[in-house]
Amino acid sequence: MTSFRKKAVTKPIRGTRTSPHTAQVITSSGNPYLDVVIGGGLPMSSICLIEEDRFMTHAKVLAKYFLAEGVLSKQEIFLGSLDDIPAEMLRRLPKPLTELETEVEQREDQAHGAGGAENGLRIAWRYNDLPLVNSEHATAKIGHHFNLMEQMDSMMLYYANTTMWDDSHKETLWDIVVAEELSKSSSATTSSLEHQPVEEAPPIPGEETTPQEKIPAQEESSANNNNNNNNNSSSVTSSTKTGSQEAQPQVFHNPRYGGLLNDIQDLLRDESFVAGTKKNLCRVCLTSLGSPLWYDEHFGEDLIKFLTLLMASVRNCNAVCLITMPMHLIAKYDASLVPKIRQLVDYAIELESFAGSERETHPAFKEYSGLLHLHKMSALNTLAVHMPDTTDLAFKLRRKKFVIEKFHLPPELQESSAKPDNCISGLLSNSNATASLDF
Amino acid sequence: MATSVLLACGLNEQKLPGFVHISEESNVDGSFLISCILGQRLRISNAGTLLVCLQHHYQHYFNAGMRLGYNTNIFRGKTLGVIDVLSDMAVEGLASKWLRNSEGQTLTEQLVEDIRAQVESNYASRNSYTVLIDNLSILFNLGASKLQVQQFCQDLAALAKERDNLTVITKLSNSDIYQLTDNNVAKLGQVRIQVLRLKSGVFREVDGKLLIERVLDEGNYACEETRKEVLYKVNDRNVKVFTPGEIGVKV
Repeated sequence: MTSFRKKAVTKPIRGTRTSPHTAQVITSSGNPYLDVVIGGGLPMSSICLIEEDRFMTHAKVLAKYFLAEGVLSKQEIFLGSLDDIPAEMLRRLPKPLTELETEVEQREDQAHGAGGAENGLRIAWRYNDLPLVNSEHATAKIGHHFNLMEQMDSMMLYYANTTMWDDSHKETLWDIVVAEELSKSSSATTSSLEHQPVEEAPPIPGEETTPQEKIPAQEESSANNNNNNNNNSSSVTSSTKTGSQEAQPQVFHNPRYGGLLNDIQDLLRDESFVAGTKKNLCRVCLTSLGSPLWYDEHFGEDLIKFLTLLMASVRNCNAVCLITMPMHLIAKYDASLVPKIRQLVDYAIELESFAGSERETHPAFKEYSGLLHLHKMSALNTLAVHMPDTTDLAFKLRRKKFVIEKFHLPPELQESSAKPDNCISGLLSNSNATASLDF
Repeated sequence: MATSVLLACGLNEQKLPGFVHISEESNVDGSFLISCILGQRLRISNAGTLLVCLQHHYQHYFNAGMRLGYNTNIFRGKTLGVIDVLSDMAVEGLASKWLRNSEGQTLTEQLVEDIRAQVESNYASRNSYTVLIDNLSILFNLGASKLQVQQFCQDLAALAKERDNLTVITKLSNSDIYQLTDNNVAKLGQVRIQVLRLKSGVFREVDGKLLIERVLDEGNYACEETRKEVLYKVNDRNVKVFTPGEIGVKV
């Protein structure tokens, strides 16, 4: 009898891998540049907070990347929002690039970098070997590349396991997809879809309508997925849920938080997301949480309680969560909420857009759309957290992709004795620099 | 692994002070201290430990412990007891007992009762007993008032005074926001450890600063106390400490 045992190789969850640095299971955020910044991807059971820019354009792009990655990796998706129409947002997800297109794009980037170097660097020619975009050197094997200019194929969304929440019964993605399909008059597809809505039982009179809307198209795609039970029994789920909600004590003053949390918890309780089972991963995306539509007398209290309970739920299963919040508005409502919220998430990333500010036209920032501030990166299920090469990061929204780079000032080609502007000097030096150093 | 940081904090001894409070500034992560203390207590033979998980799940402490060279699963159910409030709330949802005032009891009263029950059942058979509470600010998040949290800490301090060799270690995040509660809780004990961020910004080789205040002799009129300041760096498998001035910018 020998003590030798053959190592049992467990199959990882789709779209995840084990980080060699922290031994954590990580999944792509959808944007390869962001993945590099946070150490390869989002760890399982983590919450990432994107603090929205003033015009909410860039945070939404990252949310779309996050969702699109989930669709492509065949993971379960939960999308909740009061400000946006979830179905509409899903419909506008970016189109994935094929391997060939990705290669071409990378080659173009390299060629662009080399061409620029040939023309520009004659003395410090050794810098030609360095990549133009530092954050791109480690390509994430788990992530995909997307084209922001084009929208994802509706059939790809049709097969996605998606749950939406918007606190009202609005037109679902299902309806939109069917309408599109009908307009295309693809008889084969529509005939197979036509009988689906019949399965959806009408809302039971006397009961409040469930905010949860399930896309009833999952039964074909993954018959072995237990979540698809909602597909043919959505009315049953809604009735039991309503019953349980009535029996439960009122935890929140604003019932919307309770409704949203119930829906998330119901989804995450599914056995395919039980921690350690390695069956599937759930991506929870909440956009514009804490926007003025959520305001009431107990806004701060409810929001913090909701985030605490959300943290408890996400930590307990195979899920990752991405939340976008208008933090500049929340800070105006109550400044003490900002550190409290950041304490309840694992990653807090602020997008400071130049749009509408004096920096928009400033020559020093002409290359970028804004700055990216890493406010918090916490060690989850490990001791030390991954730190990127630099925390001076900037982003730019190109036509096809969202790029995060090391922030650098353009070369000063003309000698001038003028002092640098306040805004640049403020960026490069810490505001507390006058205070005594710690070391 | 974590000996140096415990040595700096004065928590590497078998017998610890009755009440120790860890204050954590905003945007600073001091969870490594809980993992370090937990590992040190588990290594002492026949020393009981109770971990109250409010900020992280038990699984986090298991994984962090594995990095520091100890396995909490071996001790769980024997010398290690766990009250995992977060897991309970995740499983039970909004019907969790921590979210409703059952029998007129508040969240903090229920928690004190559970801790007391665990201590009662385990204390007699152990040489020493340590209660670790990983984040008091979660109690505020779940709706507890300042008064309730203060009363909760006073009950625990009273529990520590009632019994020899019983230590209560609490941690409070966002101490700059909950300054009043933080100071009041710190006054209950002899040792206060403040986890502070670097005023001068982010530095690759140092994560933050520990300010350790220890009351040596509390007389009728005068109070003698020591203050020590060390810098720390949390690595993948250990925690290093430096004295201010030891490490600098390399040019």
